[in-house]
This record gives sequence, structure tokens and C-alpha cells, in this order.
Amino acid sequence: MKDIDAKVLSSDVLAEGLIRIILHAPEIACEAKPGQFIHMLVPDNAHVLRRPISLMAMDAAAGTLTLAIQPKGRGTQMICSLKEGDTVKCLGPLGAGFDGKGAQTIYFVGGGVGVAPICGAMDGFATESSCAFFGFRTKNHVYGMTQAPCRVVAVSDDGSIGERALVTKPLLEAIEQKRPDLIMACGPTPMLAAVQKIANDMDIPCQLSLEERMGCGIGACLGCNVKINLPDGTWTYKRVCKDGPVFDSKEVAFGG
Amino acid sequence: MADLSLNLCGVQMKNPIIAASGTFGFGREYDELYDISALGGISVKGLCLGGRMGNPPSRLTETPSGMLNCVGLQNPGIESFIENDLPWLLSKDVAVIANFFGTSIENYCQAAEAFANTGVHMLEMNISCPNVHDGGVAFGVKPESVYEITKAVKAHSRQPLIVKLTPNVSDITENALAAQEAGADAISLINTLTGIAVDVHKRRMILANNTGGLSGPAVRPVALRMVWQCAKKVSIPIIGLGGIETGEDAAAFMLCGAQAVQVGTANFTDPFACPRIARELGEYCDAQKIGNPQEIVGTLKSY
Ligand SMILES: Cc1cc2nc3c(=O)[nH]c(=O)nc-3n(C[C@H](O)[C@H](O)[C@H](O)COP(=O)(O)OP(=O)(O)OC[C@H]3O[C@@H](n4cnc5c(N)ncnc54)[C@H](O)[C@@H]3O)c2cc1C
Ligand SMILES: Cc1cc2nc3c(=O)[nH]c(=O)nc-3n(C[C@H](O)[C@H](O)[C@H](O)COP(=O)(O)O)c2cc1C
Ligand code: FES
Repeated sequence: MKDIDAKVLSSDVLAEGLIRIILHAPEIACEAKPGQFIHMLVPDNAHVLRRPISLMAMDAAAGTLTLAIQPKGRGTQMICSLKEGDTVKCLGPLGAGFDGKGAQTIYFVGGGVGVAPICGAMDGFATESSCAFFGFRTKNHVYGMTQAPCRVVAVSDDGSIGERALVTKPLLEAIEQKRPDLIMACGPTPMLAAVQKIANDMDIPCQLSLEERMGCGIGACLGCNVKINLPDGTWTYKRVCKDGPVFDSKEVAFGG
Repeated sequence: MADLSLNLCGVQMKNPIIAASGTFGFGREYDELYDISALGGISVKGLCLGGRMGNPPSRLTETPSGMLNCVGLQNPGIESFIENDLPWLLSKDVAVIANFFGTSIENYCQAAEAFANTGVHMLEMNISCPNVHDGGVAFGVKPESVYEITKAVKAHSRQPLIVKLTPNVSDITENALAAQEAGADAISLINTLTGIAVDVHKRRMILANNTGGLSGPAVRPVALRMVWQCAKKVSIPIIGLGGIETGEDAAAFMLCGAQAVQVGTANFTDPFACPRIARELGEYCDAQKIGNPQEIVGTLKSY
């Protein structure tokens, strides 16, 4: 974990409403693992909280990190306005990422901006028999498909790419064909909850990457806690920034 | 290079920079970034007997130049802290301030007593908690109540007792005086200011607890004013906090009358904020030709 001035090597439009930023951050890239994130200072000195952003790709040799950022509110808009040559304070790598656990067949599930960390997970863990399922709003929102290390099935909300369906439809069809050893997922909460239900009902090991508002980003403030089920039927709070963002699907208690 | 050291209520500290309760855990996470022995002190996450689960998420959100939190005093309990975290903290060269709270006066007294035979250097009593026996009004709101709880807890404290004052009151100086009269060794101020945040699109509250505590630079002018007013009334040491981000901010609190300062929200913006502020305070002193920042405490020229 380091807090560094990362240099912006490039910034371009990855898809509709999504900016790709490549950072020169060798101290972070050399330690980073799929599913981890960085805590980025908003580059205007007007925001007291940093913004957590996942790693879409990391290259230890080149010392680079690739991010895909959706300009949502003020903070991410400012980050997305960074230009080549600018620097931005980044703390990372943070959190506990995905764990391949030596699985032979992994099904990856990504929705919207959640496809970004799944791309990182695919680079780290995809095998020939693995497959990814991506859900996008329209064909204009598509990214992460071209250099994928395994087969990718895309669906969309309007049918402009792939089927007009939720990503769980092709996922279920694929599971019927061949049961995977592991599922990794990141995306909007309704999608994660649907994937969780499928995995838990079928007793397939599954890892979900969660989001919560963050303060410190390193496990000190307990600001990012979410409810986690314990094996004995009770529950506890765990920190998305330190114990997660990736959790076992059996642990996650959606809806408070 | 200025000497930043001080003696606060009999406790020697290398500098007047203390990490604020709730923003720094028990120091372990920040120690992964730098040796926390660089700080004067650490006020640990608010503790109570038996521990507490805290509030459901979302627990925080950003606001203009600040943030709101409703973590809800989640903590593993004084017992767990003493067993699992304190030995490690005491191995560091830093003053350990046990921030604690309770549910009743008796419970507060028991909490203070639980630290009796530990190496904890000071106690910091958070009285911003609701008193169930007083219709849920916080212990720290009415001066009589501040007096009563401070008097009782002081009798059960082995270490110097700091009373942490809430700013959500009509006249904070009355409460500062009440704490002093009841035997407090020092006061710290300010705790967070109560606020809310509204999601207009969903037409609902952002924080799951509805209300939260405002902190960060947005509260700094209010905190400075309160420290300045209290310093004119009490003679016990004051620890100032609220939105401190730089060494100059720390100096401003000291000019207003604080002997030491705490740094909270700034740790989130810059994880190295505490050691940086200590360094910057030294630079400020050098530039101002001050040997030790204690020389400027309460020397603010006013109109
Ligand atoms: C582990 C993790 C990884 C993430 N990875 C990515 C990514 O790769 N690409 C991407 O575009 N977005 C990602 N997000 C979401 C991103 O952090 C938020 O969109 C962003 O913080 C919103 O900030 P803002 O200033 O634009 O919005 P505002 O609504 O103005 O933010 C106000 C406050 O709320 C917080 N906040 C608002 N929405 C979220 C959210 N969904 N998650 C966490 N905090 C939020 C902000 O950090 C800020 O403190 C990730 C979130 C987490 C927790
Ligand atoms: C996330 C968070 C948790 C906090 N928890 C506590 C606590 O447990 N006990 C306490 O006395 N104050 C707590 N506080 C208040 C701070 O210690 C401090 O009084 C306040 O944040 C003002 O300082 P700042 O502006 O430097 O953050 C908390 C503040 C924040 C932001
Ligand atoms: S953001 Fe502080 S504990 Fe997770």
C-alpha cells in the first residue's frame, strides 16, 4: 500500500459515459491484484473524501494501471477531466480482491461499470473453459470485449447487442450446460443479488465485489461497513475497503 | 528547528498533534503507511463496555468541504481493546488516549474504571451520547448534566480525564466551565455538528441513521470560535479540533487557546495528514521564530 502521485499517461472515451484512464503508478502496479482498488484524491483540493476506483488492468512490468470511470457526480467528473501529463494522488492497492482458488472453469459476470474489475479478474484467472457474461445498456456502452482472454457473451437492455435480457439469463443457460467451479461478479446491486441467488441455490462457490461509501479506504474508520452473515446464523459488519470489496456470496446480506 | 514537545496533564508528548477518535481506528492501519510514533498521541475509536455494532450503511457521505458520518460508535468493546490492541499500541512511542462512552452515569464510571490498571495514558470521555434517563438528551447538552457525569466519572478515573464537548448546545462555555468545576483535567472540542443529507432524486435521506455528524474544514470556523470562547473562561488545558488540515490550521487553534490539537477527517483526504501537520507546525514556528508552539497558546490578538 502506497500513496503516490500517479501520472496520467492517457485519457480517452472507452464507451458511452465511460472514461478510460491509464496511470503510471509503478509502486501500486507491482503489488496490485485483480479486484483490488485505489482511493483517488479529487484533483481540485475541494473534496475531503477520496473516490474508490477499481483496477481494470494492471501491468507490473510497465508500471501502469488502467481504470474505467463513469463521470457520475462532482468527484468522478473532476477525475475524468484529468489530461495526459497531469498527476493525481492515489492510495493503493487496497482491499481483498478476487481469489481464483485454482478453479478450472470460472464464470465471470459483469454489469455496466462493474465490467471493469471483472476484466482484471479475467486477465488474472480465466482459463480456456471459462466464460464471461457482460450486461450493457446499449451497444454504445460496450467495452472490455476485444482483448478478453476467454469467451464473452454480451446482453443489453435494448437488444442492440446480444440478447435483450438480464445477464443472469445466459449465465443460467451456461450453468445448465456446464457447471462452473467458481463465479466472480461485479455490477449493480440487483444484478449481484440475482447472481448470489443462483450461486447459493446451486451451491456454486461465488465471489461478489461490493460498493459502499468510503472514508479512510484502509480499514480505520468503519465508514464502509456492510452486513455479513456468519456461518452460525448470526451476522456482523465487515469493511468493504479492507475485508472486501470482494466477499463470498454466502456471506453477503443484501438489503441491510 | 522548533521543539514541539509539551506536557499535557502530566503526560509528556513529542508534539501537540493527536489523531482524533473514530478516524484512526487503533492506529494499526495508518502504521502500515508510517510509524505512528511520529504523533504526539492517538485518541482511539470510541469504546464502551461490551462493544457495539453501530449503524447500518450508508454510514457516511461527503458534504461541501466536509462530511457527515453516522458510524454509530461501532467498537469491539473495552475488554477486547485492552486484550488485543492496547499491548501493540503501548509498544509505540505515542500517548494513548482511550476515548470512551457509556449508556448511563454508572456505565460511564465502570468504563473509566476498566482502564484503571492498563497503560492507557489519558481518558477522553465522549458525552455526545443520549441519556436514556433524560428523554434521550445527550449527557453533554445541559451544564448540570455535564457537571454530574464529569464529577462521577472523575472519581472512577485513574488517568487524567479529558471531557470531549459537543458543539450542539446553546453556550459551550457553560459546559466547559461545568466540566472544569467537576474536576475535568482537560477539555477537547469540538465533536461533530449534527446534520443531514438529502438525496433529492430518490427523495430520501442519504444516511441510514437519517442524521449524522458534520466534520472537516466546513466546521473549522465554528470550532475555532468555540475554542477561543472557552479559553477565555477555563484554566484547564484545551485540546482543539474540527477541520484541521495543515500546520497553520493547528497554529490557529493554538493561538485561540488550545495546547494540543486533534486531526480527524484530514486523515481521509491525506493519509499522511498527521505527520505532515506536525512537520508544518514546526516550519510555521521556525518562520515565526518561535521556540515551541506552547509559547503562542492563547496569544491571539483580537479587536
Ligand atoms: C470498491 C469500489 C470500486 C469502484 N470502482 C469503480 C470504477 O472502477 N469505476 C467507476 O466509475 N466507479 C467505481 N466505483 C464507484 C465510485 O467510487 C463512485 O461512483 C464515486 O465515488 C462517486 O463519486 P462522485 O463524486 O462522482 O459522486 P457523488 O455522488 O457526488 O459522491 C458523493 C459521495 O458519495 C460517495 N459515493 C457515491 N456513489 C458511490 C458508490 N457507488 N460507491 C462508493 N462511493 C460512492 C462518493 O465517493 C462521495 O464520497 C467504485 C466504488 C467502490 C466502493
Ligand atoms: C468517521 C468518524 C467517526 C468518529 N467517531 C468518533 C468517536 O468514536 N468518538 C468521538 O469522540 N468522536 C468521534 N468522531 C469525531 C471526531 O473525533 C472529531 O471530533 C470530529 O470529526 C471533528 O474533527 P475533524 O473535523 O478533524 O474530523 C468521529 C468522526 C468521524 C469523521
Ligand atoms: S472506508 Fe474507512 S474502514 Fe472502510
